[in-house]
Amino acid sequence: MFSPLPADRWQFDSAAHLLVRAGFGGKPQEIEKLHSLGLARAVDSLVKVVPDQYPNPVWINPLEQEEVRLRIEAAILPEEKQAIRQVVNQQFQRDMRDLIHWWIVRMVNSPVPLVEKMTLFWHGHFATSGEKVKPAYKMWLQNETLRQNALGNFGQLAKAVSRDPAMMVWLDTIQSRKEHPNENFAREVMELFMLGEGHYTEQDIKEAARAFTGYRIDPVDQSFRFAPKQFDFTPKIFMGKTGPWNGDQVINIILSQPQCARFISGKIWKFFAYDDPEPKLLDALTVELLNARYELKPFLIRIFRSEEFYSDKARNSQVKSPVQFLAQTFRTLPVPVPDANVLEAFFRQMGQVPFFPPNIKGWDGGKNWINTATLTFRYKLSRQLVAGISPQEIGLPKRQMAAIEAIARRPTISRPLLVDQVASPQDRNEPGKLIDKLFVRVFQQAPQPDLTGKFNNLLSTREQPLTDDAIRDLIVLMMTTPNYQTC
Amino acid sequence: MKEDIDVLTRRSFLRTSILGAALTWTIPVFLERTFLALNAQAADSSLQPMTGKDHPILVVLQLAGGNDGLNTLIPFEDDLYYKARPKIRIAKEEVLRLNNLIGFNPSLAPLKSLYDQGHLAVIQGVGYPNPNRSHFRSTDIWQTASDSKQVLTKGWIGRYFDNCCSGEDPTVGVALGEQLPEAFAAQKPTGVAIGRVDTLGFDREPDADEAHLFAELNGMETNSMSGDQIGSIPGSNHSGLSALEYLQRTALDAQVSTDHIKQILKGTKNEAQYPKNQLGNSLALISRLIAGGLPSRVYYASQGGYDTHAGQINTHKRLLGDLATALTAFCDDLKRKGIFDRVMVMTFSEFGRRVAENANGGTDHGTAAPMFICGGGVKPGLYGQQPTLSHLDAGDLIFNVDFRSVYATILSNWMKAPAAQILGREFPKLTFA
Repeated sequence: MFSPLPADRWQFDSAAHLLVRAGFGGKPQEIEKLHSLGLARAVDSLVKVVPDQYPNPVWINPLEQEEVRLRIEAAILPEEKQAIRQVVNQQFQRDMRDLIHWWIVRMVNSPVPLVEKMTLFWHGHFATSGEKVKPAYKMWLQNETLRQNALGNFGQLAKAVSRDPAMMVWLDTIQSRKEHPNENFAREVMELFMLGEGHYTEQDIKEAARAFTGYRIDPVDQSFRFAPKQFDFTPKIFMGKTGPWNGDQVINIILSQPQCARFISGKIWKFFAYDDPEPKLLDALTVELLNARYELKPFLIRIFRSEEFYSDKARNSQVKSPVQFLAQTFRTLPVPVPDANVLEAFFRQMGQVPFFPPNIKGWDGGKNWINTATLTFRYKLSRQLVAGISPQEIGLPKRQMAAIEAIARRPTISRPLLVDQVASPQDRNEPGKLIDKLFVRVFQQAPQPDLTGKFNNLLSTREQPLTDDAIRDLIVLMMTTPNYQTC
Repeated sequence: MKEDIDVLTRRSFLRTSILGAALTWTIPVFLERTFLALNAQAADSSLQPMTGKDHPILVVLQLAGGNDGLNTLIPFEDDLYYKARPKIRIAKEEVLRLNNLIGFNPSLAPLKSLYDQGHLAVIQGVGYPNPNRSHFRSTDIWQTASDSKQVLTKGWIGRYFDNCCSGEDPTVGVALGEQLPEAFAAQKPTGVAIGRVDTLGFDREPDADEAHLFAELNGMETNSMSGDQIGSIPGSNHSGLSALEYLQRTALDAQVSTDHIKQILKGTKNEAQYPKNQLGNSLALISRLIAGGLPSRVYYASQGGYDTHAGQINTHKRLLGDLATALTAFCDDLKRKGIFDRVMVMTFSEFGRRVAENANGGTDHGTAAPMFICGGGVKPGLYGQQPTLSHLDAGDLIFNVDFRSVYATILSNWMKAPAAQILGREFPKLTFA
């Protein structure tokens, strides 16, 4: 159980599987390169964190909230105050759309996609929504905190999240004081973040709530601030241990429970490999994470080297999340990331808007990503991405559409897929070869003759050399399949 | 060209199956039942699902943003109401009286007629214990029928689907809008969302060869019903269908249901004048789908804009006016189609608003508010009690009917479903259904 994959079973498809699951897939040459490294070095190359030099969004400003407050305070008439609030609210909507776009572009270009993938995992785990948390600065800050700790130590991450301003607003720790401890965060830290239901008592929640009192946000620069006057210094009896515990100490006590390692390791396994790991495998994962003292990097290395990770049970068993669907498409195919408004609309229709999880439990995921509406939309979207996004599809106002139609015969607001980047001039005369190449790129695995045969039949009726449109149609056909929805 | 292919595919698909080829799991269960029906009739008749002909239908109408209950149903004899709302009060003489204490906002005149005709029940003071004033969280609570502090991931209607509708056509739940509401979230996801009618269904493939291959790759062809036609990709998962199998099945569901919806839209029309707005369009479409025999049990539509923090009075009147005219047109339409007795409409909003108006001529997030239930099978009248203004909870109304009592009544008495099982426990039932 949980032994390393034998070297002779490390194949092209194994490398492709690793690249998709530990990141967002890659172009054929990237898969080939990873394969050539051999298993151990391939895994090492993925967990090696290098700074990605990615610039912050331009609107990041910790002082913004205080500036707005002062402006509202200075306004005299209620209408003036209301007008300022309205502008701020519109700004928030714009910033959030930009933040989504900023993160997706980062996923698409990151030299260490595993960091982004793990950040995405933690976002779903510590699910916090911009519906309640404002301004966008706080949501960005949380994203950075998750990223900085993404492959670090889980205990440190949990503590960082407890002091994260977005989380403190989301679960009301900022209102919690010794006279009225708020139980929201204390409950979720055990139920959803560290232990799972049934592994603590209601009394544990009450005691822990007292330990998380006095957590405040500095009104000027939005940083974490501890307010000793609001903190309950009296002893607490938490999980059988008595002391004047503070929040960090409560987290330490939870970390010392083997159930915590079991809960977290099982959830990470599910995210990267498959649902419901066998009990023995879960035992092994728990021991591994405990032995690693909650250090995530060595733990992930073990997962990515394990036989089970490459088993038939794991491969192609997951439904791509909307984020995976789009990030992988942009990473593997030469189609442009659309602008922030369009991107957000796409996510909304697929049922996953980053930074806006439906509730504190995060996204249900799996088969829940797919219903008749979202699947139909994914198919339409695939065509749009490859052929260029038509303005009608995203409901542009008539006036803007007319302007676009005036300058283009087939109006699109983004350029279509660049065929020359996926097919050489010779490929256009050799459909068989082209299909194999595209198959690897689209499905992230070696060509399968029973399927490539079907595409060959289709192309045999087409004139050669194949036109751009014929090749784009072929790619759309590949994408509008159940297979393209899985990874 | 595409139509020909479709018909060809469907026919050969049906024939093969009826002629004795094994029906595998990839065929939706509702189609299996359809085969039996078809077998008895003629093999080439169009698909006519067996369900949906006579069982009751629920239309859920969400008033998003938090409808101000106090200016919807007005306690016009209460001085405290006029004191709390100097700017946004509805004058006593304007109120459409239901009895000698309370009455409707004048914009609800059409609803008042429905009430007088005996088609409307008004449930007063609906809410839940420990009310949450976040739009987001309170909407969750209403959609999942949870306790205030409990987070559930399945919706109350989704749980109804899980309990009572397994094997039904995915159109068992139809949501108007781009997305399925959280209320539909189910163990076994089902339901269809209708965004824009003009872009319904899969895109047409550029030519017949591609249409053919698309159908084949998506398991819509007779010779590809084994579930593993796309290579030997495994990925089975012991909780029922594998991801791929589930995807194929959903693709087939989407194809069949959108075909069906398009066919219904060709053969039905509205018999009342609906207001030209989103809500009017939604209800107009729902009435056609019901009349056309779409096998559905729950429809879901919404009207936004109720978050009236500022300059409330005119906005709120317009919203209520839109609601009342659309709802009345819907009822008239259903009556003329002879299906009014099969349909029940329930409105809800995530919360009411505070008793006192704010400095901007609006109201902030509050608690209890009324719900409307209308339809041919409704026992009309006033239910629950108007919350008192003399005893408030930190400036908010105190509810007296738990919203889950309303759900329980509808599930049990209208939908004939095991309400306690769906809602997790017993709730006292009302008598409007």
